[in-house]
Order: sequence, then C-alpha cells, then structure tokens
Amino acid sequence: MSTNSTDEGLLTGRRLFLRQVATLAGSASLAPKVIGAAAVAAGSAIAAPASAQPAGAPIASAPAFGYESLGPDEASFVEAMVNVMCPADNLTPNGVDCGLAVFIDRQLAGGFGTGDRLYMRGPWKQGKPQLGYQLPLTPDQFFKAGVAAANAACRGRFDKDFDQLEPADADAFLRDLAGGKISDIRVPLGQWFNELVYPLFTQACFADPMYGGNNGKVFWKMIGYPGLPATHTRDMVNFRGKPYPGAKDPKAIQDFS
Amino acid sequence: MATTMKKRTVVICGGGLTAGLIARQLTAKNVDVLVLERGYDHTRAAEAKLPNQRDELRWATHAGLAQDWAVQTYTLRHGRNETALPVRRMEAFLPGEGMGGAANHWNGQTWRWAEYDPTLRTRLEGRYGRKAIPADMPIQDWGVTYGEMESYHDLFERLFGIAGKAGNLRGQIQAGGNPFEGPRQNEYPQPPLETTEAGVIFTRAAENLGYKPFPMAAANSPNAYTNPDGMKLGQCQYCGHCERFICEASAKGSPEVLLFPMLLKRPSFELRLRCHVLEVEYDRQAKRVRGVRYVDLMTGEEYEQPADIVVLASFTMSNTKYLLMSGIGQPYDPTNGSGVVGKNFCHQMMSGVNVFFKDRWINPFLASGASQTCVDEFNEDNFDHTGLGFFGGGYIYSNVTNGRPIASRLVPPGTPAWGSSWKQANADWYAHSFAITAHGSWYPHRENYLDLDPTYTDAYGQPLVRMTMDIRDNERRMSEYCTQRAEEIAKGTGATIVASGTPRRGPYDSRVYQTTHVTGGTIMGADPGTSVVSPHSQHWDAQNLFVVGASVYPFNAGYNPTGPLGALALRLGDDMVRYIDRPQIL
Repeated sequence: MSTNSTDEGLLTGRRLFLRQVATLAGSASLAPKVIGAAAVAAGSAIAAPASAQPAGAPIASAPAFGYESLGPDEASFVEAMVNVMCPADNLTPNGVDCGLAVFIDRQLAGGFGTGDRLYMRGPWKQGKPQLGYQLPLTPDQFFKAGVAAANAACRGRFDKDFDQLEPADADAFLRDLAGGKISDIRVPLGQWFNELVYPLFTQACFADPMYGGNNGKVFWKMIGYPGLPATHTRDMVNFRGKPYPGAKDPKAIQDFS
Repeated sequence: MATTMKKRTVVICGGGLTAGLIARQLTAKNVDVLVLERGYDHTRAAEAKLPNQRDELRWATHAGLAQDWAVQTYTLRHGRNETALPVRRMEAFLPGEGMGGAANHWNGQTWRWAEYDPTLRTRLEGRYGRKAIPADMPIQDWGVTYGEMESYHDLFERLFGIAGKAGNLRGQIQAGGNPFEGPRQNEYPQPPLETTEAGVIFTRAAENLGYKPFPMAAANSPNAYTNPDGMKLGQCQYCGHCERFICEASAKGSPEVLLFPMLLKRPSFELRLRCHVLEVEYDRQAKRVRGVRYVDLMTGEEYEQPADIVVLASFTMSNTKYLLMSGIGQPYDPTNGSGVVGKNFCHQMMSGVNVFFKDRWINPFLASGASQTCVDEFNEDNFDHTGLGFFGGGYIYSNVTNGRPIASRLVPPGTPAWGSSWKQANADWYAHSFAITAHGSWYPHRENYLDLDPTYTDAYGQPLVRMTMDIRDNERRMSEYCTQRAEEIAKGTGATIVASGTPRRGPYDSRVYQTTHVTGGTIMGADPGTSVVSPHSQHWDAQNLFVVGASVYPFNAGYNPTGPLGALALRLGDDMVRYIDRPQIL
C-alpha cells in the first residue's frame, strides 16, 4: 500500500519545515500562500473536516522525498493550481493531498519531461495547431517557461503571483488560460495549458498511484474503476448491467508488486 | 563500410503480422527466410506481464509500444502550397515496434471487407455510372477478387481463432450475423464474445430502426483455443487492455503468440531483432533487387544483406519510404497524376455520439478490444449513394473497448473541465455512458499522397516521409451522414442524455487518434501504370521484390484492415513458394 503513517509523518514534517523556514527567513517567495496554506490545512487528516473525506478513504499521502524537478516558486504555482482544479470536497481531498503536484513533478523529471519519444530535430518553425507541438523545448522546459509566463500575466492582471490569488480568481484565470485569453509575447499559453498542463492534470488524477498522483486510488474510487487485476471473464456475465462490487475497492499495481 | 552478410533466399523487412504469415507459408516448405525487425521481443517484458501490463499511463497515454518518434516521425502539411512540419509526437495513428509489430497492440477487430471492395471501382461505375466517380478520386480495383481471397481469409481466421457469427454462409444469409458480409465457406472458428451492456442497449435501438445488429468478429479469444498449427490462445479476460497493450493472457490473436514462437523452432527461419533496414539495393538495369542495407541497433554498425527475394512487410509509411529511398518505381506526382509510389494515401474517419444513462450500468471496464455490437447498413456501398454527394461509409457500433480511466471517461456536454462539478460528473457518469461510433472509410484523393520531406531527417540521416493530406469534401460528407445515422440510433436508446454528434470535419489533426489504419502509397492493381505492385503483391519494376501490408490498399474501407491483410499475406506466401520454384512475373 502506498499510504502509511510514516508517509504522513514525513508530509507533516516537510510542510512544517517549509513553513518554519518561511517564517524565519521572511522571504516573500517562501511565505505561506493563500491557496497553499489552505491546502496544507485541508490536507491534514486532523484539520480536514470529516465531510471532506469519503467514508473509508485512506489518509492521503504526499511527497515523501520532495520535488525532483520543480523549484519552490514553480511548486507553489503547481500546488495552487491543482488545488483549484481539484478542491477538497465530498469526493476527494484537495489536489496536493491527492498527489497531483507530485505526479506532475515526477513526470517533468522523468522521461516524458526530458523529451523521451519526442522528435527534437530542427529546423524549428511554428505552424498550424493540427501539426502539433513545434517548440525546441523539452516538456519540462516548456512547462516551466509557461509557469513563468502565466505568473507574469497574473501579476499584470492582479499584481500578484498565481499562488497568491483567491481561489475564485485563480479559477477564472485558469479558465482564461484554457480559453486562449491570456497571451504572452513568447510563450503560447493556450497551447501550454491545453496540451501540456491539462493532460498532466487528468493523468495525475487517473493514472496508477505508483506515479505519485491518485493517492489512495481516490479518483478510481470516485468513479468506480476497479483497477487490477481486471480478470473479468466471469464478471462480464455476472455483472453485465449491474453495479460491480470491486469498483468500491480498486486495486493498483503496488497491490500486486 | 558495411559488412556483407551471407546471402539468403528471402529477406523480409519488418517483423509484424504479414511477415509472420508469409514466413509461415515459406518455412513450411523449408524455404530459407530471414526477418529483419527494428524492435525487440516484448513477450517477457513488463508490457506483457501483470501487474505492469495494466499501466495505462505507460502503454496507452505515452504509447510505449508504438514507434519511437524521437528516432523517426513523419512530416505533415494539408496541401502542396504549405510547408510541412514534423509531427513531433504522433497521436493520429500508432505504428508498432518489435516482434509482432502493430499487431501486438491491436484491438482484435477483424473484418473481411465487403465482397465488392476488391472491385470497388467496377462496382461504383456499374451502380452509379462511369461519370459518378469524381475525377479527383483515383479509386481502383485491386486486380484480385474476394473469391480468390476467401480461402485465405478462412485460414487466417482459423490461425487467429477469430470469434464471430457468420452472416453469409455460402450465399445463405444467417440470422444474428452481418447480412452484408461476403459469402463464407465456414462459420467462424469460435463463437462470439460476450455482449457488453452497451451492446444490449445498442442492439435494441438498432433493431427498432430495422437494422440487423451483430457481434463484431474478434481476435480476442472467448475460450482457450488451439489453432491448426497447434499454437494456443488463452481465454479473454475482458480486462480492457487490448489496443495499445500486449495481451498478458495470450488471449489476443497476435504474431508474438501464434506465429513467431512456432517459426523460431523451424530450421529455415531466422529472426534478427534490433535491425533497422535503411534501404533496398536495386539494380535498375536488371530490374531486380540485390538485398537490403541495415543498421544493427545493438552496435550501430551497418550491414549489407544480399537476398534472392526481398519482401517489404513494414508499416504503410515505411514500405513507401523504402521504395522512395531506393528509387524503385516512379514517385507519384500530384500535378499531373503521373507516377505511383506514394499515391492514394488514406486514413479513416472516426466520429460519433455519446450517450448517458442514469439507471443503466455500462461498466466500461468489462470489455475487450472487439466485444462490440455493430450494424453494417451504412458502410461503404451497402446503401444507395444516389444523390448523396459522396461515396463510402462506415459501420456503426457500441464503442466500448475499455474503461481505462485516463482516456475513457465521458461527461455530459457542458461539464466544466475541472473543479468539484467536473469530479461529480465523472463520478456520476463514468460507469453509465458509452459512445456510439461510426468507423468510416477514407477514399483516395488526388492531393493526398506521400513523398520524402526535403528538410527533415530521422536519426539515421534519412529524409522523413512527408504526408500531404487533408480531410476532403467526400470524407466530410460521409462523416456527416454516418454521424447522423449514429445519432438516430443514440436517440432510440432511451438514454438520459444524448450528446450532439461530432462528425469529423478537419483539418486533419495529428493530435487526435483516429485509427492505426493508414493505407496506400504502394498500391496494388492490374495496370502497371496505376499501381506499384501487381495483384500478386509483386513489384512491377523488380520481380524479386514483393510488398505487403495496408500500403497496397488502393483506398481505405470503413472496415478495419487486418482481415484482408492476413489473407493477402498468406496468399503471397504461397505465391512466393511458386515464384522460388519458377521465378517470373506471377
């Protein structure tokens, strides 16, 4: 199982450490952020209201070993974003506690982020959207260029970085990003959000938990995806048109490893 | 300087389905066969074993079994007046790599094409008049008939344990099967797969409209099965990990289960993995090929492999590329319609409508790649096209192949893309929705073709194949029409919510998966002036060179391509045995 009390202890420790550092240093960039701070509170099993946890849900775990790719400001952006896109509610904990930021970080640090299976030969030229991605940046580089550009646009509009916005403003800003209404001179922010960020978000929710997201299989439980081993020869007949009991207790790769 | 290897009788470029079938016929007669395949043997790797086989992110989202686009991709432009750019991560179709090729990660949807398909031009001219076919639609007959291929279809179905219900046994229409099917000598070797809940719903709605629904023929084995070669399939687990995955239960008819393990025991067979063929060596004067040049991907060193006979059995794009790289045959020129290599490049047209049922449990995760229910009333020329302004069509079906949660979640129209209401919609509808899809044809257009890109190169320094293609008027109208038929069925399902149909309109988009069925480029026909290979898959400009695969299809049907691919490959294997005995134009 991915979740245990040790992980939870490490999470608390890391959060406390960051908050203490921020307090001691008085650094603006490390100060607790509106959404981030809310995330920390809601994500704690102790602080979370009982209604924020589905019955029987495991306690969400989070990065035990820190971020591999994201720097502190980038992490703040991503944590704020996944908490807006996945607020704590009666279905799941907030995005950070679901592991969504860790998933994105691990993807950016790994083969996908460094350009595995991506054709990276020039000459480089922008073209019609249907021809696909045409920047000479790895997905990791593009992601971070987009974070910086989105934050710059955010400061232009709100005089604040994205992670300092009120949740409603942050949500509206993300919708404008998706709608192509936020522009940057050099970074195609609509494409950045819709073709890189958003797919990473949905993957973070629904991929196997071994990649760091979907903590406790919370999204699989939410929709009723039973996961592994998926040997359904008899189920196919027995549960055709009926609720499938295994959907309430999904199994993941770690459960069979 | 390349090292020259010992000469072989037959060298096959590409180690997928067609290579396995050809080699089966040849090595049964002790013909010496060498297969050169760029990929590796997946059968003992993570992708073929539990639990990691069930990893959607690795194998589906990141398409881990598909061609490595960092090494080799294609460029795309919508018209000749545009500059093509490389598709840096192709999503529209997924060529395979490794022993078994793309047939490792197929869904198992197995169709014989319509009886009239190999003579489609004749059929359309006979039904609608010679002038009915637009001048910019260079559709042509194959030069072989369904009747000539039937016994090979039958053999392929027995070898791959295909599960289905005959619709036409020796001319007698059979209840429960596809009434539009060509006549079959035999029933399918296995009974159909179990019907999904979506199929139950679809069946009733389709019957209410007067259609004749039937189970899709499947290479997902409903039972343990032993084929005529003694090779065994396991039982389908309905796990929903077929397309983009290797079946860990060995229950999907695939070359790495049914062909290569047997071939590797035959003394006249050799499979050389991680060998990427660069080009065919061609003697223009003699009009013969001498062999191939390849790079050993384990060492990076180049080799020349002489051969009496060369077979191009790679993916559509690569077959075309080898001919263009090697200067064999005249490249197609769209400005005047001359030349043939690269001509009639086609894809397929997927469209459909999503349906949502408050009180029905669809359970999309209880499915296999081909456990679907279909109607064939609106495929190709199964209906009268008079006055419709297009040719072609597609089968319409209950499209549930899996419930993999990253990609296979449907939410009603108007659902926001994130937030609590997005989560609620996923929770409400994931297990209660499916798509009714039209799997549509793509007929050739004079301006859709392949050639070599003037700018971009692959990891070996060779030009990329350039796709000049777009969705033209004929295909747009076809998609509009078939999507409307799908909508009519959808409205008859009693669904709580019927979304709007989404006909495919274009422009052609590399970012959206359609099917892996790209066809053409080395098309077959009876006339050397309009085809690359003969009806026996023999190259007109080099009689000891054969080309097999979907690259020989002169157009793309509304059916999945594997059935005729298997039949043509088995037939070619037998033809080559005759050719070796007496080399000549077949």
